[in-house]
Amino acid sequence: MIDLEERIRTYPVTRRAFIQGTSLAGVAAFLAACGGGSSPQPSEGGIEGPLNFANWPAYIDLTEDETSSPTLTDFEAKYEIEVNYKEDIQTNEDFYATLAPLLGSNLDSGWDMVVLTDYMAARVVRAGWIEKIDAVGTPTAHANVRDELKGLDWDPNMDYHFPWQSGATGVGYNVVSTGRDLTKIEDLFDPAFKGKVTLLSGYPDTFPLIGLMLKGKGEISNFPADMTFDDAQKVHDYLKPFVDSGHIRKFTGNEYLQDFGSGDTWVAFVWSGDLASSGGEDDRFVYPEEGSIIWTDNMLIPKGAKHKAAAEAMIDFVYDVANAARLAAWIYYISPVKGVAEEIAKSDPDLAANELLFPGPEITAQMYAQPALEDAEDLKWADLAADLEGA
Amino acid sequence: MRKSLRSRSAIPYLLMAPGLLWLIVFFVLPNVQMISFSLSEGTLRTGFTTPPEVWNFDNYIGGLGRFSDNFRNSIVYGGLATILCFLIGYPLAYSIAFRGGRWKSLLLFLVIAPFFTSFLIRTISWKIILGNDGPLLALLRDGLGVVPANFSILGTPLAVVGGLTYQFLPFMVLPLYISLEKIDRRLIEAAQDLYAGPWRRGGTITGAIFGGFLLVALQVGLGYASVTGEDPTLAAAVAGALIGALGGGLVGRYLVSQSFVRVTFPLSLPGVFAASILTFIPAIGDYVNASLLGGPKTQMVGNVIQGRFLQQNDYPIAAALAFILMAAILVAIAVYARLLGTEELTGGTA
Repeated sequence: MIDLEERIRTYPVTRRAFIQGTSLAGVAAFLAACGGGSSPQPSEGGIEGPLNFANWPAYIDLTEDETSSPTLTDFEAKYEIEVNYKEDIQTNEDFYATLAPLLGSNLDSGWDMVVLTDYMAARVVRAGWIEKIDAVGTPTAHANVRDELKGLDWDPNMDYHFPWQSGATGVGYNVVSTGRDLTKIEDLFDPAFKGKVTLLSGYPDTFPLIGLMLKGKGEISNFPADMTFDDAQKVHDYLKPFVDSGHIRKFTGNEYLQDFGSGDTWVAFVWSGDLASSGGEDDRFVYPEEGSIIWTDNMLIPKGAKHKAAAEAMIDFVYDVANAARLAAWIYYISPVKGVAEEIAKSDPDLAANELLFPGPEITAQMYAQPALEDAEDLKWADLAADLEGA
Repeated sequence: MRKSLRSRSAIPYLLMAPGLLWLIVFFVLPNVQMISFSLSEGTLRTGFTTPPEVWNFDNYIGGLGRFSDNFRNSIVYGGLATILCFLIGYPLAYSIAFRGGRWKSLLLFLVIAPFFTSFLIRTISWKIILGNDGPLLALLRDGLGVVPANFSILGTPLAVVGGLTYQFLPFMVLPLYISLEKIDRRLIEAAQDLYAGPWRRGGTITGAIFGGFLLVALQVGLGYASVTGEDPTLAAAVAGALIGALGGGLVGRYLVSQSFVRVTFPLSLPGVFAASILTFIPAIGDYVNASLLGGPKTQMVGNVIQGRFLQQNDYPIAAALAFILMAAILVAIAVYARLLGTEELTGGTA
């Protein structure tokens, strides 16, 4: 389903020029890839390209005319290799489904670098589908990664992953359509928004957020990371009537950006930086009163990647403080790189105070990790989510 | 002599060989694999246990039970789309075949023209047409003010059926056109010479019955998840039946002649059969329209199969559902062929 929606990027959405921007970036990257051909090109540093890089929409910086990305252009110039940058990931689950049959059979996935959220990154690392990152090739990354991102139990020494960005899941809305500012998760269920609400597909974002709301009402006692299957069942039972009545129009991946652009969605669960970087001027993101979900998306090199050195070069490149600051300033996500706050404060003090890039203590106190489930449990939750999604 | 005869008798098999090989490699083998999957247990992540270790027929029974709503959606939407395609396509094909004159080729080209863009682009353009900023809502909501500000067409059965009807219309028109085009005009002239005039009384009654029935069918089909958010009421059904009957009656009385009913339509039946099969089969298995234009309540069985294969990696259930769908379509076609009894299908000459 999402796989199809993803292709919408290449049609011009009305009204919101910003969204066209994201699609143009994809087109530009595609054209860049075509222009150079795809044969291996040895460069001075002995790094071969092109770098086949799969990432999420609205996750790369763009030039003013939104036809190319300074980060990618500079990288290409520095290493003299092409970057085949594709905004092919709309949800973790869908992208995993495209990788699993190949990596599971020891075949090349065609990607040199992919970006997956913690729980999915942990799953593919445990499955042994990820190449070890060469520490010699990535000194900047090892030096600059923020300390609190180190020491995760699934990869304590950063052998297999480096964070791309962190972000939050919260409530996005179009202030003109809703006619008021929203502050909490419960606002999604205002009858005035019937048919204009979308949630995120799968359980990892939607279920913990609704869980936080139900916890506020005293119906669930656990925080998201400790939610049980019973809690998930309660979330399902709470949402079901809203799905049946058509209040919740759809479950989406990253393509909610298009629906905000066309006005078909007024209120939705969204990822924190997207609307700021790629939404319209009336689209807002709010950290809900009940709390928000914090996650980190990670760069991974799939097993058998043909241009592993190029991927390592990219990891090191985006951990350069200046490069990281430029990237974060455009995409409005939380950078994993030390010193980005100071770097941004030098040039743009307003941005340094932006809660999307640098959430304050009262917001971070209310940020909760996603549930980390074992395989069997994961399938049961996914089944609950599938039941809500109708397929 | 003998030798050359024998080699000649081998020629048909040689000619068939590439096609047969193709079918074996790309149809038979995958289907054997799928049957094996449909009786297996497990998922991609946990690994599969396949026959002969396990014969898990519960995939079929459980799948049919759990996804009965999706099967119902497929049958209802596919059926409605086929009927709507027929109602739009038959007059269109008829006009092109009988009144097209020197514009025939151009008109046919226009019917196929949308096919020069991709299926996805066409569906997405419907998303724009029916969307919040689209022309339809601009008229209904902003122009006439008959629907509230948060009214959506996207996500309703109407959007899905509309999309399906649009997508598969050429599949209906082309076979109909071919069967209408080859009708011998002298038969119609002969019928008219033999006093086949306007079809007044019969047309009014038949048209009224069909029209009333159709509008109620549309209401029930589209109404159970309901465009307006309200459950369909008896009063609405009666009103629909009356409106349909009136429209159908008028069409039957003034637009249909006896020569059409007795000569043209029966002669075009093989085309009607082929066209409805060609429309119904892809429509019932479609998932793109429901995915892009529909909502959680309008997902068809194709969406379940796609989701189970590509999102949950639950191959056994997906394969079982695919076979159930295949069987259902085959049964439906067999029944339909029996009812319509077209000679082309039973081996006679048209």
